[in-house]
Amino acid sequence: MTDVPLHELEMRKVYALTLVDLADSDPDIVVVEADLGKASGTIPTYSEAHPERFIDAGVAEADMIGIGAGLAVDGMIPFCASFTCFATRRVYDQVTISVAYADANVKIVGTAPGITTGANGGTHMCFQDLAIMRAMPNMVVFSPCDVYELSSCVRWMAQYGHPAYMQMIRPVQPQIFDDDYVFDPETAVQMSEGDAATLVSTGWTTQFAKQAAEELAEEGVAADHLHYASVKPFDEESLLESARKTGWVVTVENQSVIGGLGGAVCEVLCERLPTPVKRLGVHDQFGEVATEQYLLNKHNMNVEHIKQACKQGEGGAQ
Amino acid sequence: MPEEFDREKFDDLAGEFRYVMTDMICRSGSGHLGGSLSLVEIIITLYWRIMSYDPNNPKWPGRDRLVLSKGHAGPVLYVALAYQGFFPKEELKTINADGTRLPSHVDRLQTPGIDMTAGSLGQGLSCACGFAMAARIRNQDHTVFCIVGDGESDEGMIWEAGMFAGHNKLDNLVAITDYNKLQIDGFTDEVITLEPLVDRWRAFNWEVMEMDGHDWDDIYDTITAAQQVSGKPTMIIAHTCKARDCTVAENRPDSHNIKIPDEETFQRYMSGLRRQDYTLPYEVEQP
Repeated sequence: MTDVPLHELEMRKVYALTLVDLADSDPDIVVVEADLGKASGTIPTYSEAHPERFIDAGVAEADMIGIGAGLAVDGMIPFCASFTCFATRRVYDQVTISVAYADANVKIVGTAPGITTGANGGTHMCFQDLAIMRAMPNMVVFSPCDVYELSSCVRWMAQYGHPAYMQMIRPVQPQIFDDDYVFDPETAVQMSEGDAATLVSTGWTTQFAKQAAEELAEEGVAADHLHYASVKPFDEESLLESARKTGWVVTVENQSVIGGLGGAVCEVLCERLPTPVKRLGVHDQFGEVATEQYLLNKHNMNVEHIKQACKQGEGGAQ
Repeated sequence: MPEEFDREKFDDLAGEFRYVMTDMICRSGSGHLGGSLSLVEIIITLYWRIMSYDPNNPKWPGRDRLVLSKGHAGPVLYVALAYQGFFPKEELKTINADGTRLPSHVDRLQTPGIDMTAGSLGQGLSCACGFAMAARIRNQDHTVFCIVGDGESDEGMIWEAGMFAGHNKLDNLVAITDYNKLQIDGFTDEVITLEPLVDRWRAFNWEVMEMDGHDWDDIYDTITAAQQVSGKPTMIIAHTCKARDCTVAENRPDSHNIKIPDEETFQRYMSGLRRQDYTLPYEVEQP
């Protein structure tokens, strides 16, 4: 795909390179954008490699989804991308009916999730896409944490014959996995082991959870860190096994705490193994123009907050 | 499959469509009568004289596609599909019944011959654009037909798709607006006017044609002419009459979704049909 180590590239560059690679061998791959092809990375990397299978709907996200649905029902495999706010909440009915209900094999990619949209501010900060997409029947929901997982996830989506949604952070991200990584939506990734707390993260927040778990371990507070690239399907057994051991669960997500990863965790635990849970994320607020670090601090979800939350479980002090 | 036109036979068939459809809808207790009756001649012309398809292989790649964007007109399409052999006519009476394959709004996963799911208005024309783009990418030469409602054309998404198809010169796309001039809340000119509808589509870089949506020759000539248009998509404004030939409902806003609370109402609609000299193609319990 490229001679450069993937983790030196922007996430969106790897997204586009992966699509080019897939399209080289599969004539059904097609990219549909809504005037954000440069933001998604498909312009120019993909658009120049496969111009005949690059479609731009203009600033018309609903149309993009409908076009994708038509392409998919006729047997093609469209990847439709926009900012998360436009790829999900703006087109929720179109995705629900023309994609999920119609079982159209459309891949929807929401870029710049949550607070990573930074300078675009409150209008563009979507804190509910994991929640609303998870609530949709016949929709799987993914949030990869680095380029290796992203690339593997895109390949998995291409071979999966049904609708799928994926969050995509756009810039370069710290390396977490490597070329050998294989995305598996059925299984959470055990990042570290311990019995002080079960730390659950997805997507962009996994790097902070990982750092928190590493620092905690150095302090003698070892935590089970589970990374869920797939929020739906949700690997219930890994969570239950860990929660049974630790008795204290902390979730951290680049989303509202209502209905997303934390919501999924609470649903499983409430029904199958009632366990105290601390949800870190945005608490029922809109976004704002600010740096990522400012917002991580403001919403009590930075590395120190994660560590403190994990420590609250020590000694069964819930 | 295309067949010879015989006016008397087609008039008979249209009458039978209306008789069967009205019975199906009344029998189920409610349904979208008006917007189904307005499409009878157009659907028959498409399925009897113009479109290529194979009832034994509904997903045959070489077939012409039809997206019924005004998905609530499912009944007229179900009658056409059953009469052309996609599924047994006996099934027609199951519309909206528990466990049916014939839901009020068309569903591609349930009914053989339905190319696209629709019902949430405004979405089908975009899907048809997707079909048309797929055909272009694969160098296939079938036609993609899309039927949109006039009320549906209030949806902004219709005009997004219009802009897209015009820009991309999708000449394998033929859209038809069922312009019966009525929507749920009243006449389109009173609720929110679509005029100047012809000029609007023309401004979106479409070839625009008009036809009498109940005149066999005009429908056939216009649609086949639209298929010959090169370099742009075609929008056919079909002037139709809502609930055509059901005199108690014809051209009335309340024909959109009729309610049948009792036998008397059932009979009122059936006896309001201009032609009733038909036998139902399915067995029913007599009241």
